[in-house]
Amino acid sequence: MKVYVESTVANLQPVPLKVALHGMDARSQKTMALYLKGPCRGAGIVVEDADADVNLIDADFPAAGEILQTCQSRHPDRPVVLLSLQPLQINGTDFVQKPVNAERLMAVLNKFKALTSALSQPQNAVEAKEKTGDEVIKTPEQAKKRVLYEGNEGGYARFLGLLPGVEFNNLEQIVKAGFDPKLYYLNYVLSACKVTCRENRALQLRSIWKPLLIFPDTRQVWLDADDKQLRAFAGVEQAKGFAASIGLSPLDESVRGSLAPEKFQALEVFVWKLAIWTSKGRFPLFLPPEQPVYLKHWPNFTRLLLLPDALRISSLLIRDARAPLEIIDILEAKPQHVFAFISACHSLGLLEPGERRRAQSVAAQPPVAGKKHGLLSKILHRLRAV
Amino acid sequence: MSQYKIIFTGPVGAGKTTAISSISDAPPVKTDAAASDMTKNRKASTTVAMDYGVMNLDGGEKVHLYGTPGQERFDFMWDILTSGGIGLVLLLDNTRADPFQDMRFFLQAFDKFIQATAVAIGVTQMDVCATPAIADYQRELKALQLNPPVFAVDAREFNDVSLLVQALLYSLDPGLKGEPNDSIQTY
Repeated sequence: MKVYVESTVANLQPVPLKVALHGMDARSQKTMALYLKGPCRGAGIVVEDADADVNLIDADFPAAGEILQTCQSRHPDRPVVLLSLQPLQINGTDFVQKPVNAERLMAVLNKFKALTSALSQPQNAVEAKEKTGDEVIKTPEQAKKRVLYEGNEGGYARFLGLLPGVEFNNLEQIVKAGFDPKLYYLNYVLSACKVTCRENRALQLRSIWKPLLIFPDTRQVWLDADDKQLRAFAGVEQAKGFAASIGLSPLDESVRGSLAPEKFQALEVFVWKLAIWTSKGRFPLFLPPEQPVYLKHWPNFTRLLLLPDALRISSLLIRDARAPLEIIDILEAKPQHVFAFISACHSLGLLEPGERRRAQSVAAQPPVAGKKHGLLSKILHRLRAV
Repeated sequence: MSQYKIIFTGPVGAGKTTAISSISDAPPVKTDAAASDMTKNRKASTTVAMDYGVMNLDGGEKVHLYGTPGQERFDFMWDILTSGGIGLVLLLDNTRADPFQDMRFFLQAFDKFIQATAVAIGVTQMDVCATPAIADYQRELKALQLNPPVFAVDAREFNDVSLLVQALLYSLDPGLKGEPNDSIQTY
């Protein structure tokens, strides 16, 4: 029954109008495809001329007149929309003035959508999408990134909240919320990565769990497990009895070709999330929360699991050395988020102890709101509201 | 009402137009079109050669997004363009012959503006060409005594461009608030 309902709902989804672009160079076509997808909320998708419902012509293009004639002679029944800086009234065409406003363009496209019974044939639309090029076809890298974004939602916050026996609102308890990375899978992974990079050859990390294959040349790992499984295993203390089953062994390079490509992931991305899930909002014991640290570089946030407050913490730690307890105080951030962030940054080698830096400078002051604080907050809000 | 702007710069093909499109509330105005045979009787030419987008903010304010022309022949415009700007987004194409040279060129060209504001660097096409890596860019920047955010960016992805601009904003003002404390962002 569930399958039936889902497929029925899918069939009722409005299909975007198929739009052929004329009088635009490749760059403008790409821009328009993005515009239709984004601000126009998918009201149209760009397709090849043969598959289109509507022709969209940039009337400011030098040969626009000829293009219009050709379009009308080839497809006399197909609607034509002209875009121009100057108002135009040409028989058999609709007009949208530049700069194009999303509402106006959508209104015109929706008018044609009703005429062309665009609710039908979703399969054709998908096929057409695939033909149109880079704005539609997702590379494996993009697909992987999307999975990462989805994995970010909700689950992580829920996971951090479940740490038993620690009351994060209580300062006395916060300073006890440490963990020893040596007791976790993370430690073995970090050691294995070091050896692999030093020896510059692919190695396999054996454990009581699934083997992890590490490829230093592409800085990738391969693991036959999803994030849920990894998250669960990351938080489990590795009992001393398991130590005998942990080891590194050389990997035959020919294996690489036989591995499922979707299970490869970037080494940094893997280590970062493994550290977060090992930390569970605790700080690593060798980085006590009263010890100042600073960031050597900004983490590459577009490719990493994004923690709450991560950008704020980074902007603070890139300027001055701060103790995690100070960060919690200054940013009014949750201790779990700060500790998880510190753990992840340390695992990627992005953190440095900050005592010396602090000793050399005047004690860091809390950031003071700049002149444009209100404006920047509004921009931030706008970027996050989408 | 005050007008604000963020400047997007970088070499030709680095993704400036696409990045602006990704976060703009209006499509970038293509301003380098010659007059067509349908419009030339009204206006001979419309050649400005600059990408433009806009973000509408609460309270009716707007932030204008300007892309500098990639061609060096237009670099005289850059000083005018950056006047009153909030900050700089530098996009670099990793498939170019020497992206470090590009980076040095643009950082030098916008040196005064960066000193007065901030810069965030997005490296595009890293899925096509993985080297230089982000760490290599950071090494180069260290030699220039700079340490801005450097992210791998797909200019077509709103989230990538949004994060880059957010990092720019935090570089300008680390005291900004806004991230929800209890829930993870939908990136």
